[in-house]
Amino acid sequence: MSLRNPVARTRIFLAAAFCSCAALLSGCGQDKTWDLDNITGIVSPLAFSLTDDAGRHVTAETYRGKIVMLYFGYTHCPDVCPTTLATLSQALSKLGAAADKVRILFVTVDPQRDTPPRLKRYAEAFGPEFIELRTDDPALRQLAKRYRVTYSLGKPDAHGNYEATHSSAVFIFDDKGKARLMAESSSSAAAIAHDVQQLIGGA
Amino acid sequence: MLLKGVSRKPLLWLAAALCMAFAGLGHAAGSPASVEHARIRWLPGDLPLAGYFDLTNTGPRPLTLTGASSTVFGDVMMHRTVHRGGETGMVPVHDMQVRPGQTLHFTPDGYHLMLMGRTRMLAKGDAVPIRLTFSGGRSMDVMFAVRGADMQ
Ligand SMILES: [Cu+2]
Repeated sequence: MSLRNPVARTRIFLAAAFCSCAALLSGCGQDKTWDLDNITGIVSPLAFSLTDDAGRHVTAETYRGKIVMLYFGYTHCPDVCPTTLATLSQALSKLGAAADKVRILFVTVDPQRDTPPRLKRYAEAFGPEFIELRTDDPALRQLAKRYRVTYSLGKPDAHGNYEATHSSAVFIFDDKGKARLMAESSSSAAAIAHDVQQLIGGA
Repeated sequence: MLLKGVSRKPLLWLAAALCMAFAGLGHAAGSPASVEHARIRWLPGDLPLAGYFDLTNTGPRPLTLTGASSTVFGDVMMHRTVHRGGETGMVPVHDMQVRPGQTLHFTPDGYHLMLMGRTRMLAKGDAVPIRLTFSGGRSMDVMFAVRGADMQ
């Protein structure tokens, strides 16, 4: 694009004007608007002691400096869990390179079937930002209670298959581990990307 | 994308399945229903999978979807994901009526075919035949496309 071209020059000016307006609107001191539910001060900060899908012991400190999305589910869940993770994956794609500032932690409510190797293959199906975590009772119950998450495992059928009910909430923590936002399975990738972008920007 | 009676003729059925796999969607003349967006979300190992589709009743009479089956899965059920008081679970669904002209959506976080017990390995890009069954002994064979785990 040549600057000798008056049309191009006008376009650049308009683009610059638009950018500075946008910068002012989203500048410091300005109240942010959130698309998701704001849970600041309502939900406990990020704290846990779990085993990751590589068999390593991890805590909230392991992910300090990252925006963390925390979800409780189980891999034998064919619909709502992968649908929610797919939405989070789509939100990460919208963030581009900034996606590396985000980790999605999936805590299984079915630790008996969800062994680390199974969890590892499951995480890999969604992307490098996805980490599957597990612990056994009573630690799992205690962690769920901390986030007021409920779950229950159904009775096994003749083949030993069973289902679970579980909370559909995705808790989003800032880079200091403070609970900030809550998404649901029905939240859009655009809404999640918008809000996480603001958190990455230091909101 | 039909077809009743064809099921007992494996070669014809295979030919039909191949045609459908390449045609993707649409419906054969005389079929009382058409199916679009038939897809399965792939997950690793032997995990249960969910199948989704849009079924339109193109005939003049109400249609009742009673179930589904597949040679690729030991067990196929119709399920609905329900949200109650912040908790999510699945409930079985039985007969689903579709009025003439109406489209029934099996869609993520709603109705799904619960596909359990894979009889063979599946990968993204595969096509899997599933038979939808209707009241009155009618059935329809549909090719479902296997999509990635992060499918929307
Ligand atoms: Cu199900």
